[in-house]
Parts: sequence; C-alpha cells; structure tokens
Amino acid sequence: MEYNSAKREGLAGAEEMPVKISTRGVDLYYGDRQVLKKISFDMGEKMVTAFIGPSGCGKSSYLRCLNRMNDFISSARVEGIIEIDGENILAADTDVIALRRRVGMVFQKPNPFPMSIYDNIAYGPRLNGIKDRGTLDGIVEKSLRDAAIWEEVRDKLKSPGTGLSGGQQQRLCIARAVATQPDILLMDEPTSALDPMSTARVEELIRELKKDYTVVIVTHNMQQAARISDYTAFFLLGDLIEYDRTAKIFTSPRDRRTEDYISGRFG
Amino acid sequence: MDTINTRKRIEEDIALLKSMIYRMSGLASESLEKAVWALKNQDVEVARNVIADGDIIDELEEKLDAACMEFAARYQPLGEDLRVVVSVMHIAVDLERIGDYGENIAKAALSLSRLPQLKPLIDIPRMVEIIKEMLRLSMAAIDGHDGEMALKVFPLDDEVDDLERQIMRELLLLIMEKPERIEQSFNLMNVSRTLERAGDHATNVAERVAYMYTGRPVKAGSYRRRKTAQDDGN
Repeated sequence: MEYNSAKREGLAGAEEMPVKISTRGVDLYYGDRQVLKKISFDMGEKMVTAFIGPSGCGKSSYLRCLNRMNDFISSARVEGIIEIDGENILAADTDVIALRRRVGMVFQKPNPFPMSIYDNIAYGPRLNGIKDRGTLDGIVEKSLRDAAIWEEVRDKLKSPGTGLSGGQQQRLCIARAVATQPDILLMDEPTSALDPMSTARVEELIRELKKDYTVVIVTHNMQQAARISDYTAFFLLGDLIEYDRTAKIFTSPRDRRTEDYISGRFG
Repeated sequence: MDTINTRKRIEEDIALLKSMIYRMSGLASESLEKAVWALKNQDVEVARNVIADGDIIDELEEKLDAACMEFAARYQPLGEDLRVVVSVMHIAVDLERIGDYGENIAKAALSLSRLPQLKPLIDIPRMVEIIKEMLRLSMAAIDGHDGEMALKVFPLDDEVDDLERQIMRELLLLIMEKPERIEQSFNLMNVSRTLERAGDHATNVAERVAYMYTGRPVKAGSYRRRKTAQDDGN
C-alpha cells in the first residue's frame, strides 16, 4: 500500500491523511472527445470528498471511472492510473465485478428494485452467494441501520420498496449500496430529487457513513458540499482546477475560476 | 439566466453594504476631527454636536448588521462574497468604536472648555490626520478591490503610536512643571491615549480589508516596525 504518495510528489491534497484513492494522469475520451485531462489527486480514507463544477465539466464522468462504470459506454476510453488501496483498477486484469462490490454507488434518482424492502437489500449479498437466512437477516438489519432507515421500515420489510417516500427510497438505495460491504460509496447528486427535510436526513447520514466508508459525492449544490465534505475538488471543462480542504475552497480559493464558480458568476 | 440575475443582485447588495461602510467611515473620521477641533478651539457647541451625532453612527451600525444578516440568509455567500460580508460586519464594529472615541474626546473638550488652555495643540490634531488617512486608504482599497493597498495602512499606525508617546512625555513634563494644571494634562493624556486606540481600530479595519481581497489572513504586525523594549515600556 502506498500511502501519502501525493505528499512526496507535491500534488494537490497532499496532507497527512491515509490515501484511499490515488489518481495519476487520468485522461478520459468519449470517442474523439476528451472529457477528462490529466487528472491527478489523492482522496483520503474515510473522508467525504465532494466534486463540484458546472454541467459537462467531467465530475460525474470521473466518478464513474472509480468503479469502471464507463466500461458500459462503448466509445469510452480511459488512460492513466487510478489506485484504490494501491491497486490500479484501470489495469486490464482487474476483476470489475469485485471492484464494484467494493465501490458502491448511489444515483441521482432513487431507484429501488420492484421488490420488497428486504429483497432490495438482500439482492446484492444473495448475488455474492449468501443464502443463509440468518446471515441475510443480519445484513439487512445492519444495512438499514447504517442508512438510518431501520426504525421507519422494520415493521414493513415485506412491503415494496417503491411504496416508500422519495427520501426513504434514497436511504433504501444507500442501504442497498452498503449491503455488499463496500469500502467506498460513490454518490451522484444523491439529494437533487429530494425535498429539504429528506436532503437533511441524507446529509446527516453521509456524515455518519464516513465513520466506516470513504464517500465521494458529486453535487450541484455548493452549500451542500460546504456542509458535508472534508475535501472539495472543482472541475471545469475536463480539468481539475482546484482541490483542497473544503473550508479553504469555500472561503478563500486559490484560483480565480473557483472563486467565480462558487460565487455564481458562471455555471 | 438565473445565475446571471442572482449575481447581479449580489453585486448590487454588496455595493449597498459598501456604501454603508463608506458612510460609517466618513462619520467616524468626522467625529474625531470635529471633537479635536472643539478641543483645540474650546468650542462647546461643536463638542455637543459630536456627542449628539454619535447616535447616527450607532444606528448605521445596526442597519448594516441587519443588512449583512439578510445578505447571508438570502444568498448563502461563499468565497469572496463570504469574506466581504463577514469582514464588513467586523469593520462596522471598529468604525462604531472610533465614533465612540470621538464622543469621548468631545466630552473631554467640554470639561476642558471651562479651563484655560494648557498649550496650543499640535500633535493631537496630527494624530487625527493620520487616522483619517488610515481610514481613507482602507475605504479606497475596498472601492478599488485592492487588498494590497490596505497594507499601506499599517506603517501609519507606528506614526500614531510615536506621536502618542511624544505627547505623553510632554504632558508628564508639564505636570511636573505646573502641578496646578494637572487636570488639563490628565484630560489631554486621555485624549491622546484614546486616539492611539482609534489608530488600533483603524488598523483592524485595514486587516479586514486586506483579508477580504487577498483571501489570506493578514496581521498588521508583519508590516510594521519591529517592537522594541522601549515601545512596550512606553
């Protein structure tokens, strides 16, 4: 495991923290179009890292590199190195299924499977070969507790997941994502479809989750990034413009473009 | 389009906050200037005006405070906008304090107006001129969006301190020479000490302005003459 390699190289994010995800010179192309340009930075373990930037800046595309979701896009081509715990996940021999088990994902719109709450959570573990009822029960309860929704659904585990409110559905999806015991949770605008109260619940949950997980979140809501993240990365037109402690980014960013973006001069 | 309109409103509201700060700064300068003028010319009426006008600065500070709160609630500012609104709130406190000092000096002018003048006042008005320049520079820095300009304020506070020490020495001598004039000397010492503090607040204002536009915390000490043991001993 190579910790703090960024510190030696003097790269962004180079502070005393155990590095979970280390990115070196990543380029991403969709066909001929380059959407990420030489991205290099380190994300800390059990930290919340927020990606901000205007639409089309590459932040979601980069997020999808972290669990090789871009593999589903036939024209996508990724170059460079992304190491998780020191292992290059872009290598040809990476077990992508195992990778996605370690790197869970939550999307913008809650997307519970059309099945019961219980089965939504048990789905992943079952795919991984867990059959024992008692074990599954334990996983379901722990995941729902981790996602701060257990108390609300414990009496209706057999009801369909789609019957829950939007905010509950999103927390159900977070529970589903943690059921396979990932180390990393990727969240692509997880609260953009939720009302303020549900958003507050999910934000609180994210702060709780970082005790056990490394969380990477894409958000269009700058105040949200300021509220919940430890580090913030600002992307613009495929470049990583600035990456620093969140407090620094939102009070006195180094780059004029960051300043202009966070104060709403463009985007 | 939404972003652009919001941005425009933010700019307008910041311009409003700034204009309130300029006004406060103008009033604070005027308060010191008039109070010392009253002291120098033993003009009771002007002294009374200064005391009466103190409320205007206080009211303005309250309004500015409310406007800053509203700005923060409305826009949830980040980056420079955030630095500006927080700094403006702090600057208002310093300016209000300078205004209070003007009132204190005016009160001293009132009580000294009954007594014969000790000596022609030269250095005390000079202190006021420097403090006015300090505030003027800070306001120009805000107006010109120029954090570096605010740094020029810091050496001026050394001059204020020098004058204060000089006045203290002189007045101590006078007390020894003319013990019957001890009340006047004592009052003038207070005035001089008050102006020295006003200089400190003007320095705070400059620190805030520098932070607003450079984004790094600025400490006046790094831009001033090094302190010597004599400075501390006074």
